[in-house]
Amino acid sequence: MYRLAELWRTTTVRLTAIFMLIFIVFAVGLLGLIFWQTTIQLQRQQAEQIDRETFAIRRIDDDGGFRATILAIGQLASQPGPGIYYLADPTGQKIVGNVSDLPSEVVAEPGTYSFNYDRTPGLSDGGGDLRPRQGNALVRSEKLASGLILVVGRDVVERRGFTAIVFQWFAIGVGGILLFSLIAGIVTSVRVLRRVDTIASTSNKIMAGDLSERVPVTRRNDEFDALATNLNAMLDRIEKLMQGMKEVTDNVAHDLKTPLTRLRNKAESALLESKDEAARREALETTIEESDKLIRTFNALLMIARAEAGTPSGALNEIDLSAVVSDVAELYGPLAEDQGMVLETDIAEGLHIHGNRELLGQALVNLIENALKYYEPAEGKQGLIKVSLRSEGGRARITVGDNGPGIPEVDRGRVVERYVRLEKSRSQPGSGLGLSLVAAVARLHKGELRLEDNAPGVRAVIDLPA
Amino acid sequence: MKILLIEDDREAASYLIQALDEAGHVTHHASDGETGYAMASSMDYDVLVIDRMLPRRDGLSIIESLRAEEDHTPVLILSALGEVDDRVTGLRAGGDDYLVKPYAFTELLARIEVLARRSSPAEAATSLEVGGLQLDRLSRKVERDGEPILLQPREFRLLEYLMKNAGKVVTRTMLLENVWDYHFDPQTNVIDVHMSRLRAKIDKGHANPLLHTIRGAGYMIRD
Repeated sequence: MYRLAELWRTTTVRLTAIFMLIFIVFAVGLLGLIFWQTTIQLQRQQAEQIDRETFAIRRIDDDGGFRATILAIGQLASQPGPGIYYLADPTGQKIVGNVSDLPSEVVAEPGTYSFNYDRTPGLSDGGGDLRPRQGNALVRSEKLASGLILVVGRDVVERRGFTAIVFQWFAIGVGGILLFSLIAGIVTSVRVLRRVDTIASTSNKIMAGDLSERVPVTRRNDEFDALATNLNAMLDRIEKLMQGMKEVTDNVAHDLKTPLTRLRNKAESALLESKDEAARREALETTIEESDKLIRTFNALLMIARAEAGTPSGALNEIDLSAVVSDVAELYGPLAEDQGMVLETDIAEGLHIHGNRELLGQALVNLIENALKYYEPAEGKQGLIKVSLRSEGGRARITVGDNGPGIPEVDRGRVVERYVRLEKSRSQPGSGLGLSLVAAVARLHKGELRLEDNAPGVRAVIDLPA
Repeated sequence: MKILLIEDDREAASYLIQALDEAGHVTHHASDGETGYAMASSMDYDVLVIDRMLPRRDGLSIIESLRAEEDHTPVLILSALGEVDDRVTGLRAGGDDYLVKPYAFTELLARIEVLARRSSPAEAATSLEVGGLQLDRLSRKVERDGEPILLQPREFRLLEYLMKNAGKVVTRTMLLENVWDYHFDPQTNVIDVHMSRLRAKIDKGHANPLLHTIRGAGYMIRD
């Protein structure tokens, strides 16, 4: 079970506690108000009752003289209730009444008084003898026409008893509500904690290395499920990225280790052939060549990583795409001719985009170099590379098409991946990173790289938002 | 030529000093930024070769201080940071050229020699001449021994760059950077093809060729 401290830390319990505190403050305030109001009301009522009774007795006294008064008071005094009745002769001697020890000044001087007194047994009502022996009374004394002194009053303790009952029930009500909300708070907190705990334990497992773990989603479709669904989507993405990373590191390890091993072997054999100056020189030259290849692969990897991360060095600014395409085409035109191919251009003028000139140039170079590399001279066939730039429907499309061997449809998606080199191309030099760099550059520009059938040959399309 | 090398990697530095010595240059070496700055500002050098990341004082701040003191000694920045933006910040700080590690020594040497040339007045000359080959930078006309040669705009820029650095080795990367303004490394012999076309235009039919291929390094135009 959850420990109290842990429970206290949960938001639900804190909220419940705050609500309870506010509730108590209001309840106490309300209670005070009720108490105050009923007290005033009861006081007024008692004063009115005293007034009425005094008035009635005065009339009895006026009409029937002191005998009738003594009789009436005797009757009233014997009835159960909160009433206090007392009759004294003009000297102050008690004649009849249900209290015995009135303070002397009450009898001596007419007026309104409040005082403590000892109850005489018999005053108590039928409700058992719960009330204290000591009473507190509000009385009025008056000199009647017959010369008798009348004291009429009400026991205030009675009144207090009433408010006590009100208070008691109120307290029970408030206590009940507090208890109930405390239980409700704890129950909801435990449930919330349980949901949070499943998420926490899942993320702990993931942090421990199990990336396949997912947060369970219930059918309640509540905010926790929304959170869990989001977390799961994020985990899917992370898992995919991690897989990608692993593939990349595996491939890097393979593609860098193989030439590194060759490099090392060359250096070793150069040491062994130290007697033959020419052989040694050749071995050293191959060593440098190999290391240049390594550097090239490394640079391509870095460039892809930067383009994919969209770091500041891959920053985009306003560039003349038409100039980039025609510059690169012009750079490679003579080379294509030397290799017996024709490089045709069809470049729309003055097309400006938000892009990175260096990266787009490199991407285009990679595409043209691919077309040159995989060209197979054949009898009666003119090798052709067509570089074009068109603006279509608010998009800029750079295409490099050739009439070479092409790429089988099943392989077209695959060649864009890093290090994928089709069997046929293994004999050609290259890092296997060319097209993945082009794809990464296209993605950096929020565009895409497509490989289409040029029938014959292949057409690479870099489709960019203009 | 008197060169100051500010480089903290001692092994790389001693190799460079030896290689530069073999190429006929006197090289002083400082292995941290403060010492390097003190040497650069107190002595006269033809070229400063400064590593960008140095202990005690960053390479770019050395260049900025020197430029603020009106010291315009050509500076070649060496750096492992090779992105276009890194290059731009390097050149903006006052560097004259930027070479990314790892580099070939021939590349470094060619760049140092071209840089030293830069402080000479050939830079601003309106007309360049190498052994009967004349290039007018204003009218954009080229002639050899009085005979006009028709060049494409790019070929003109190629020849202009070579003649500006006549007698110096110019590497393929330097040509790609200065003539095409691209900083990548083409995998194929794309520059060579342009050079052989240019050679056909300026050397064809002449007994002594002016455009020479320097094996393992690049090209050079000379008498």
